[in-house]
Amino acid sequence: MNVLVLKLVNKIYNASEVKVHAVKDVTIDFAEAEFTCIVGPSGSGKTTLLNLIGGLDMPTSGEIIIGGTNLSKLKSSQLIDFRLNNIGFVFQSYNLIPVLTALENVEFILLLQKKTKAERQHRAIELLTQVGLGDKLHKRPGELSGGEQQRVAVARALASRPRFILADEPTANLDTKSTENLLEIMEKLNHEEAMTFIFSTHDARVVNKAHRVITIEDGRVKSDVEQLPH
Amino acid sequence: MIWSVAWKNIWRNKKRSLVVIFAVTLGIIAGVLLVGIMEGWFRERLDSAIYNEVSHIQIHNKEYVKNEEINLTVRNPDETAQSIDSLPGLSAWVKRTKIIAMANTPWANTGVLIYGIDPEKEKSITNIYKKIVTDGGRYLTAQNPGDILISDKTAEILKLKQYLISDSIIRELAVKKVPATVLAKLETLKDKRFRSPKDFREVLKKEFSKKELDRYGPLITEKALDYRIRNKIQISISDREGNPIQGIFRVCGIYKTTNTGFDQTAVFVNAGELAKLYGGDDLLTHEIAVLLDNMDQAEVMKEKLSHISGENTVRTWKELAPDAAMMNDFMIIYYFIFLGIIMLALAFGIINTMLMTILERTKELGMLMAIGMNRRRIFGMIMLETIFLTFVGAAAGMLSGWTIIKILGRTGIHFAGWGEGFEAIGYAAKVYPVVTPEFFVFTTIMVITTAIISSLWPARKALKLNPVDALRTV
Repeated sequence: MNVLVLKLVNKIYNASEVKVHAVKDVTIDFAEAEFTCIVGPSGSGKTTLLNLIGGLDMPTSGEIIIGGTNLSKLKSSQLIDFRLNNIGFVFQSYNLIPVLTALENVEFILLLQKKTKAERQHRAIELLTQVGLGDKLHKRPGELSGGEQQRVAVARALASRPRFILADEPTANLDTKSTENLLEIMEKLNHEEAMTFIFSTHDARVVNKAHRVITIEDGRVKSDVEQLPH
Repeated sequence: MIWSVAWKNIWRNKKRSLVVIFAVTLGIIAGVLLVGIMEGWFRERLDSAIYNEVSHIQIHNKEYVKNEEINLTVRNPDETAQSIDSLPGLSAWVKRTKIIAMANTPWANTGVLIYGIDPEKEKSITNIYKKIVTDGGRYLTAQNPGDILISDKTAEILKLKQYLISDSIIRELAVKKVPATVLAKLETLKDKRFRSPKDFREVLKKEFSKKELDRYGPLITEKALDYRIRNKIQISISDREGNPIQGIFRVCGIYKTTNTGFDQTAVFVNAGELAKLYGGDDLLTHEIAVLLDNMDQAEVMKEKLSHISGENTVRTWKELAPDAAMMNDFMIIYYFIFLGIIMLALAFGIINTMLMTILERTKELGMLMAIGMNRRRIFGMIMLETIFLTFVGAAAGMLSGWTIIKILGRTGIHFAGWGEGFEAIGYAAKVYPVVTPEFFVFTTIMVITTAIISSLWPARKALKLNPVDALRTV
């Protein structure tokens, strides 16, 4: 069953006097619990595509439908709520709240969902334990390594039980060991939580773990292949 | 948790937040001190106006208000007095004779307003008996009918405030550890009498260096002061037929209030002795002064007394001391203006700091919007941060201000250099600052309002961020 459908999506930026056609006629479907990787050279439109899927940006034309909801039809406030309940984000530079502990960072998104304190704590501890940070619940981001911070970010993205996780080059700032560790965790959660993972990357190790690889060049889908993870 | 996040956020850049908090603290301390001094002065003035000068209500003959002639007495004073006695809510009342007179000594003369009073009854309504200066004799008594009580200012004008350096004073100064060199210079002034403070000041200036004068001048002046108690003063008035008549009184005491304007004219004698001078069979009543249990009832009591006293004029303290009344009515506006100016200055500092905070946290705010924090919550968080930042400073400022006011309220602040100027317009040279709990409530409301207004611009700037652009920032 498709949870995400992109139909002839275009995105044109009108920055300065030069129009930039960042995404061109992209049509893709994503099924539930997919573990998909979007690859392509720098400037190919990977991040723009993820921003469009995540509802952070609106397409110039075309439709993006998530679970039957057309994102273009939503008002700004509805879109924020939609993101809160349907999409989990993992950013390249972690983007944790520096003044909060690992536990509080994960709890924060549940607070936005108006969960009770008990619910928040239970879910946050469960996820942080799953990503191997059960002993670092009360550490602040500054006290964690890059790999650990990114694991907190993954736990935060999963906390709200979204339909899918969007990760923009999640391993770009990590060393080999942390990258492997993170990929294992993401793969495990993909199975356990049955969530769709879509991530952009340059990293061959990440590509090798993906079940499906979509290659973008100059804003167009160049190839879309399924593979057995290595 | 949003509260907790907001609180933690203000401590991200401790140094910067502390600078803002310190600025707010200083601003509030300045506001508390300024208002405390104003309130202290105002209360002193109000107390002085009511308990030394005008009481809560006064009754006069309608014509006397326009022209203070000896024959324009209160109409039916005895009946009016009897009726006043029956009114509830009155603390005390007195009848007074008030006549314009000329006071003469061998060295000077001045116009005065002579009050003929019952000294004991007067104590129930005015505090003049408590205002006798050190070494300034005593208050009037019925046992010494020929006495006159004058003010320090009148004594100065009539040259009864004199200065004399004697052997005993030099010995007293030696005990107070005044250096021998200074005492030696004082020997040259020994047994010379100076008939005014100005003469004495000028001689001291000639004899002593500035340093010696600053260090020992006030002490020497205090010790050398010699009020001419028991000195005779000739009082000249017009009798009921308009003929000039004179009488001799002896100075029994010197008083001093905080209002030089009042002191300069008011002298007090026994009413019976004054009656002997103007030759009346009865005591003339030019004024009935009334003190109430509650000054807020002045207008209500005025209505009642107007009804009782018939053709006489009844006036409240607000009409009799309009300067004090104006201060009373406009004090809240003064507070608002003082604090408003301080808050306005602080608001710019707070806005600047919060705008810098937003700039620094652009990426984080973009992330919060991306993960689903709605605009209302982001607005609320920025507003809470601003309120916390402001309120920490305000609380510290109010606590420090309150402590300083408590200390200064006991010790007082003496504006020695400007004392004469203040007293000339009716305000004390030594002020005891005071602030009311209502002021702190008012300040808290002003602070919260300032914080909310200051947060609007930064919060609005945060809301205008585009999450995609914000996430791209470094």
